[in-house]
Amino acid sequence: MSVETQFPSDEPDIDPSMGEALQAHKNKVRLIHTAKIASVWIALVLILSIGLLQLRFDPGYVGEHYGFVMQGVLTTLGLSVASIAIATILALLGALGRLSHNSIAQGLAGFYVSLVRGTPLLIQIYIIYLGLPQIGTQLQSLGFAHLGKTLTLTAIQSGILALSLNYGAYMTEIFRAGIQSISHGQREAAISLGLTEWQTMRRVILPQAIRIIIPDIGNQFIAMQKDSALVSVMGVWEITYRANRFGRKDSKFMEMFILAAALYWILTIVSSWIEERLEKRLAHAYER
Amino acid sequence: MKKTIAILTVLVMISLFSTACAQATPKPAADKLEEILARGTLVISTDPAYPPQSELVENAARASDTKCASDQHTPSELSGFDIDVGIAIAEKLGVEACFVTPEWTMITGGSWANRWDISVGSMTITPERMEKLYFTQPYYTTPAAFFVSADNTTFTQPGDLAGKKIGACTGCTYDAYLAGTLSIPGEKIVQVVDNPQFMGYETDINAIQDLALGDGLRLDAVMTALPTGQGAIDDGLPLKQLGEAIYFEYLAVAIDKTHTPDPVPLVKKVTEVLKELHAEGVLLELSQKYYGLDLTTAAGAYDIDSLDQYP
Repeated sequence: MSVETQFPSDEPDIDPSMGEALQAHKNKVRLIHTAKIASVWIALVLILSIGLLQLRFDPGYVGEHYGFVMQGVLTTLGLSVASIAIATILALLGALGRLSHNSIAQGLAGFYVSLVRGTPLLIQIYIIYLGLPQIGTQLQSLGFAHLGKTLTLTAIQSGILALSLNYGAYMTEIFRAGIQSISHGQREAAISLGLTEWQTMRRVILPQAIRIIIPDIGNQFIAMQKDSALVSVMGVWEITYRANRFGRKDSKFMEMFILAAALYWILTIVSSWIEERLEKRLAHAYER
Repeated sequence: MKKTIAILTVLVMISLFSTACAQATPKPAADKLEEILARGTLVISTDPAYPPQSELVENAARASDTKCASDQHTPSELSGFDIDVGIAIAEKLGVEACFVTPEWTMITGGSWANRWDISVGSMTITPERMEKLYFTQPYYTTPAAFFVSADNTTFTQPGDLAGKKIGACTGCTYDAYLAGTLSIPGEKIVQVVDNPQFMGYETDINAIQDLALGDGLRLDAVMTALPTGQGAIDDGLPLKQLGEAIYFEYLAVAIDKTHTPDPVPLVKKVTEVLKELHAEGVLLELSQKYYGLDLTTAAGAYDIDSLDQYP
């Protein structure tokens, strides 16, 4: 096999106008493609709307009463933001536990993930809201009055605890995968620089891992906003509860539930937009 | 950005802990009634799923000057017969009424963990519930009735529903009636429908919605409270009542037996208060305001002592 080494000749064979034309063509193709996708979306929304109107759907009712359900958006968002914050901390601890060489930490983290991921969120909510106070009563009768009372959580506290525990378990696996995805060379380099194990994790591994797992955390946040609807069984006045109980008043269930669905949809669209921005920001250092 | 998130998280944590601490330090009281009077609020559970008993108020502002906790609702945010009765009881006790809205099954199941004091939720006195809850003097009665599709021509009386699909709320008295296990202290129950096919729903309204889809489509009939069914008809749903009322239920305030401290003085006090409200005609006035009917007089005559509730 002969290797031909040909050095560029003096006159440049690059034609800038050709490159520009090619780029312009590419942009045009992309634009047309986007426009086609957008028209499919618009057509689908139209078909859905027509379908709804055929179901004796009353858009005027939604227009008059949307404000009442909208008031639940803050509650839903508050629940989700608080829960994802606590879940992130739990997930980090869980992931460190699963990756640690300590058998107790590994066992604890593994058991937590297996137990919480293997049981339905709704049952966890019931156990925390209805079950914990029963343990509390037992403790109170044993003389631990303060501890017993603390176990009786309010509906909102129970909801946040259940969502945090549940999503913490799923996110433990995401964090673990993110940390494991960082090449071993990084760790060796950090150790050779004299960083301690904790410093390596905090300064080298985690910053890189976070960038990789941000899309997954965003995904979990979106899922959580929708799962927060389950908290309505405890009577928290979030989007679903308000839509459900208000719809009963005038037997306008479809109107209120579709409004609630639309609100969740908008929330998730906004969240995924924010997540994309965050992802791009964190990717700056890696741009070429 | 980072700072804002950090501050927000800290704020959420602080608010969580502060509410937890606020709950964890009650003043020691000899019994529940004393605790309520000292606290200055009566926490009442209601499920705003049953207009006109209890419903949500649109564009309602939370009362600004209130002793109700942040996760409780002030009377201005809810309306209905139960709500007004709850407010009247709180007024008689000289305290402020606060409302919480857990799911119905959580209220009837007892073991409230002291989260709320009393249920003013149109709850029927039944032997099963008496195992977990104390009942006060009933504040009104509700006739139970069957409803069928307005298009139906084959059913002329409740007895015609034998073997048919009948919807009702799971775990409520209609469920028990259709299963043949209902017994209401102070009321004679007659089984008028043989072998009904019971279809359970989360609440009566879901069953009514399914019946309104069409005659026999999902349900042949619904068993529910007469005022609830009438309310659905008034809302324009294509239903009609089948025959007369089947039986009457006595609806009373319920109080958790596992309350700490001792709930019995509270039960006796609320019974006393309700007897006064009956005698003063306050309850009759409310019944006429919300139902256009006298549903309360029979409840005032009910002999609560015959239940023999206290050990």
